Amino acid sequence: MNSIEKKYKELYTAHYAKVMRLCLGYVAGDQDLAKDVTQEIFIKIWENLEYFRNESSISTWIYRISVNTCLSNLRTTKKSSRTIAIADVPEISEEHPDADKAHQLALLYACIKKLSETNRAIILLVLEGLPHKEISDIIGIKHDAIRTRIHRIKMQLTKCVSHV
Amino acid sequence: MYNFEELESNWKNQPEIQVTEQGFQEVLNGLRKIKNKQRITNVVLGITAIILVVFFFYISGYRSQQVILGISLMIGSLLIRILFEVLSMRKLRKMNAVAHSTDFRNGLIGYYNSRKFVHFGWTPLLILSYVAGFLILLPLFKANLSSGFYTYIVVSSIVLLIVLSIFIAKQIRIEMNNLKRLQEEFL
Repeated sequence: MNSIEKKYKELYTAHYAKVMRLCLGYVAGDQDLAKDVTQEIFIKIWENLEYFRNESSISTWIYRISVNTCLSNLRTTKKSSRTIAIADVPEISEEHPDADKAHQLALLYACIKKLSETNRAIILLVLEGLPHKEISDIIGIKHDAIRTRIHRIKMQLTKCVSHV
Repeated sequence: MYNFEELESNWKNQPEIQVTEQGFQEVLNGLRKIKNKQRITNVVLGITAIILVVFFFYISGYRSQQVILGISLMIGSLLIRILFEVLSMRKLRKMNAVAHSTDFRNGLIGYYNSRKFVHFGWTPLLILSYVAGFLILLPLFKANLSSGFYTYIVVSSIVLLIVLSIFIAKQIRIEMNNLKRLQEEFL
C-alpha cells in the first residue's frame, strides 16, 4: 500500500461514520441507498484526493463532496416523495425502551425529507454539529445569511416533527 | 412539542455506525468497477458500430439508394441518441465535486436544462427519423421476406418503439422532477 492509499484508508476510517449519517439523513433513513451513495462519495474522494490543496480543512472538503454527491443522486432516490408516509414511522412501544428514540428519529428523517435540497444539506450539517462558518464554506452562502437561514430551518423542522 | 435541542440530541445518539475492512474493500471494488464499466461501454459501442457496417456490406446495401437512406436514418438516429447519453453521463461525472454546494447545484440545474434540449428538441426528431427510416425499408422487407417474417418485423418494431417511448418518457419525467426539486429553494 503506497502513501496515498494509506492516507485514503485513514480518511475512510476517520470519516465513514459521519458521511454515512449525512447520507442516511438525505435518503430518509434508507440504509441500502445510503450505503450506495456513501460508496460513491468515497470513490469521488479517491478521484479528487491528489487535488486537495489544504485550502480548507479535510473535513470541510469531504463534506462538500458528500453534499454534492447526495445532490447529484437525486436521480436515484427512489422514495422521492415529499409527503410523509405515516406507515414508515414506527409506533412508540412501551416494551422497547429505545422505541421512542427510534420513533423520533424516523419523524426527523421524514421532516428533513420535506425540506428543499439546500436546506436539507444545511440542517444535516447543523445536526452533525458543524460551526456556522464551516457550513457557510461548504454550501457557499455568506455567514450572516446562513445564520438566518439555519434559524428558519430549525423552526420549520421543530414544527414539523411536533405536528406529524 | 419538541425543541430543536431534543432533535439534535436524538440525532447524536443514533446507533453507532461501524467502519469495516469489508466496507473499505467494497469501495476499492467500486473503483475497479467504474474503470471496467467505461472500458465495457467503449467496447460495446465499438462492436455495435462494426456489426452495423458489416451487416450493411453483407446485404450489399450500398447498391440501393433506398437501403442506404433507410438504414442510415435508423442507425444514425440510434447512434446520435446513444452519443447524447454517453456525453451527458460524462458531463455529470466530470462536474466539480469539490465546488461550493450552491455552485454545484447551479451546475446540476444547468445540466438538467441541457437535458431538456435533448429530450424535447432532439429526441422527437430522432424518433421520427428512426420511424421514417423503417418506413422506407418496409417495401423492401415486404418484397424480399416471407409474409410471416414480414409481419413479425412490423409487429416487433411497433412493440419496440412503444417500449422505448415509455422508457424515455419515464426518464424525462424523473429528470424534470429532479430539476423542479433543485429549483425549489424553500419548503
